[in-house]
Amino acid sequence: MQEPELHDLSDDSDYAASQQQRELRIMSRTDSGKRSGDNDPDGAEVVFVKDNVTIHPTQYASERISGRLRLIKHGALLFMELRIMSRTDSGKRSGDNDPDGAEVVFVKDNVTIHPTQYASERISGRLRLIKHGALLFMTWIPYKEKIDSTTHCSSSNTKLSEIDRNLYTIRAVPVTDIRSIRRHTPTFGWQYLIIVLSSGLAFPPLYFYNGGVREFLATIKQHVFLVRSVGDSNVFLVNDFQDPLQRSLSSLELPRAVSISNTSTPTLASSAPQIENSERIDDGSSSISQYGGRHGPKIHDPARDLSIQVLEKFSLVTKFARETTTHLLREIQNDGFLANDTKKQSQPPSNDNHETGLNDAQSVPNEISVTPDPLEKPLNEVLWLGCSNNLELRACSFDGKVIDQWYELSVYIRLYYLDGRVLNEFWKETHFEEAATRVGTFELVNSKEFDKLTLVWGQPRQPPLGSEEWATFFDAEGRIMDSKSLRKRIFYGGVEHQIRNEVWKFLLGYHEYDSTYAEREYLASVKKTDYETLKSQWQSISPAQARRFTKFRERKGLIEKDVVRTDRSASFYDGDDNPNVTLLLNILLTYSFYNFDLGYCQGMSDLLSPILFVMKDESESFWCFVSLMERLGPNFNRDQNGMHSQLFALSKLVELLDSPLHNYFRQNDCLNYFFCFRWVLIQFKREFDFEKMMRLWEVLWTHYLSEHFHLYVCVAILKKHRSKIIGEQMDFDTLLKFINELSGHIDLDVTIRDAEALCICAGENGAACIPPGTPASLPIETDLLYPLQDDNEI
Amino acid sequence: MSYAYLFKYIIIGDTGVGKSCLLLQFTDKRFQPVHDLTIGVEFGARMITIDNKPIKLQIWDTAGQESFRSITRSYYRGAAGALLVYDITRRETFNHLASWLEDARQHANANMTIMLIGNKCDLAHRRAVSTEEGEQFAKEHGLIFMEASAKTAQNVEEAFISTAATIYKKIQDGVFDVSNESYGIKVGYGGIPGPSGGRDGSASQAGGCCS
Repeated sequence: MQEPELHDLSDDSDYAASQQQRELRIMSRTDSGKRSGDNDPDGAEVVFVKDNVTIHPTQYASERISGRLRLIKHGALLFMELRIMSRTDSGKRSGDNDPDGAEVVFVKDNVTIHPTQYASERISGRLRLIKHGALLFMTWIPYKEKIDSTTHCSSSNTKLSEIDRNLYTIRAVPVTDIRSIRRHTPTFGWQYLIIVLSSGLAFPPLYFYNGGVREFLATIKQHVFLVRSVGDSNVFLVNDFQDPLQRSLSSLELPRAVSISNTSTPTLASSAPQIENSERIDDGSSSISQYGGRHGPKIHDPARDLSIQVLEKFSLVTKFARETTTHLLREIQNDGFLANDTKKQSQPPSNDNHETGLNDAQSVPNEISVTPDPLEKPLNEVLWLGCSNNLELRACSFDGKVIDQWYELSVYIRLYYLDGRVLNEFWKETHFEEAATRVGTFELVNSKEFDKLTLVWGQPRQPPLGSEEWATFFDAEGRIMDSKSLRKRIFYGGVEHQIRNEVWKFLLGYHEYDSTYAEREYLASVKKTDYETLKSQWQSISPAQARRFTKFRERKGLIEKDVVRTDRSASFYDGDDNPNVTLLLNILLTYSFYNFDLGYCQGMSDLLSPILFVMKDESESFWCFVSLMERLGPNFNRDQNGMHSQLFALSKLVELLDSPLHNYFRQNDCLNYFFCFRWVLIQFKREFDFEKMMRLWEVLWTHYLSEHFHLYVCVAILKKHRSKIIGEQMDFDTLLKFINELSGHIDLDVTIRDAEALCICAGENGAACIPPGTPASLPIETDLLYPLQDDNEI
Repeated sequence: MSYAYLFKYIIIGDTGVGKSCLLLQFTDKRFQPVHDLTIGVEFGARMITIDNKPIKLQIWDTAGQESFRSITRSYYRGAAGALLVYDITRRETFNHLASWLEDARQHANANMTIMLIGNKCDLAHRRAVSTEEGEQFAKEHGLIFMEASAKTAQNVEEAFISTAATIYKKIQDGVFDVSNESYGIKVGYGGIPGPSGGRDGSASQAGGCCS
């Protein structure tokens, strides 16, 4: 009897190349890194060995499979490996040239995975279904490098690709371990399958360059119980029945005729498309040479192979992202991000990439392809690459540069293997998500369902808009020609402080974008007079009149009390008898006459103070404040309806974007979202330092992605801390305190990017969560802006 | 730091009566006249000792403006003690006490201990509410009463601690089921186990906290 384990399990690439049946081993897919711990140069150590550990794939004694169980310690990680030593099943030994008795029942060449978007980095291989005794196994072994198209790459890249090939190798997965197979038959491009294991792991999409999806499914159907999902006709569920008897019957491999109902079978269109055209390869290679940093040095070790499963999952997710991003980018391209963007390339210009705009000389691939259409330019968004001892994640910005990389502890991945299902969840909800927010947002919309996994990345933040660039937005007469581009630019970068006093007037709506210099100059003088008129209304109230005017006295008293309690630690407002504090008082009191129904409410001084700090002018500050209050006034309604509508919308958004968190809040009686009250009331004024707060405000005021972007900011912060909130089982009180104490500890850039990603993720569903008229939208009706207040209201 | 009990307090009263300053004086022993107005709620905490037992006070300092009443009401839940504050130099803050009290009665648990505080008693020359009026109001409504000054620290310590002592006595008297946290009391590490505390009021019986 053949004893596979006696073979020196050679180096992986050799192993892959051999394409023997020897891979018919049941392992936790973690063992490919190091074959023998004892003399492992990478420091793996076998800490436990037990022979004759046997699995019973069926209840028949003859079908037991024995093996050697080993625990291998590698660094901080522990790996489990079960290697088949002997087979007691009496199945056919004589599979033609197969000494182990395995029989190949399906072979398909040129089945390819796309670990990255670069054509040169695709890995083709041979997909096989191997019948061994009662069990059917699936393997996918990549070709040796010379068959692959990576010959164009430099030798170092070739070597790396070899490692990648090894990483993605699928070795003998029992088909009974498969939970579902999703079939994709795009109109253009190759068909592919996504295979999800019952542990929840998914292999990267397998592209059938030479067709064969239908045949593959038909073969599987002959061996296991395969049924089309009720919800999605392109999803086939394996062993999807409750009855354990049926399940064991299934593993007995009784042929059964479960119809893959004969709706449109996969079209085998363009069964052999050109695998690579030369242009594409060139692009790919140049990308690699240009951004070779993506392939950092990787140490090959067992953890890599372990982690690759994680990456496989990502690769699926990345595909979702790609589709979403493509859509987004196309939109952005249509927007025309930068006025001076040169469209010198034949392909769509990289409008998404501000750096292109800033540096026209830089030419980067910029098209995101949804389907692997060889004619499209290579993708250049997020890449998930390999991993070493820790899980290494890399993300590329839209121009293909590595913008960030980090290492995440993989201890949870180890746990994942010892108890897949439970710990997988744990891992997903904590570490990955938190890690991912460093470069963007990884949205597990519903971690239970693969289909809803969505990955969208907020774009990297840009430097703030400076005065030179600002000047380019104006035509000769001072009109802002492309306000959307301007708003977009500010959304992604904010503005430098010295031009805030100009820019904010537009963002707040005090100045019209299409007004001219002359019109604005005229407006300023008119508005100044208007302001003085308004101000004189209360200034002319004599002490005698004031004695008979309780509401005025109370209102004035309240404002006087509050202006001296507003940002007094900022030098602009500090010290005794600071004239700027008096300006706050004047403006707020004037506003309370201008908008007498609303009057004054605490929080207004917080909103006014940065505006006055930026404008330095009483009248202009007043009118900018008026413009802001057009949107935020309802925050201060006596009945709090503006606040309630926003907090309600927030709860709906969390429900949409993080239903586990929503459920947690529901179960803990936190759905009123009062813990976000301060965030919403004064637009995070108290959560950031002054500079950061102004940056956030101008981002919010662009209303670029949404008028309610602040609500997505709330979701982003909550999601950032969801593990802690749920993990520590915070009740309402604890949560409120926790949220309060986040003040000063929130990373603004990360939060904005996360919020951006969430907003894109949510799309129209997100917008549908927010009732019309919710601040900061402009009010729907202008008749009764503010419900009449109670008599005793101040 | 371990404690035998944790009491949740809430400070309520009109805006500008000095709620935040009272809290700061109690927790940090300092007076900060320049202090941002409170939006929503702020938190403070301090350990005190009653009957040789370490007790942690977790104090919620709320926004006073009328508009925020609806949200302030949600903070009453689970408060063991409340400091109801008015400003002795502003009559209207005294006049509003009844409505604050009504809120407290309605939204807090019935056994919440309420301390009425007439703040800013250092400003005697501007006094608009007499001590007797304060006492009378407290008597009518079953409140403990003190005049205090967050600026001079007069009676600040006493106000917080005597409230805690009253709560503590209620525990000893078995008024609270301390295992039920809706009363605003948490039993800390080394605290008193059991459903309703020691009815005999003996301190030694409680044991546990060896500080």
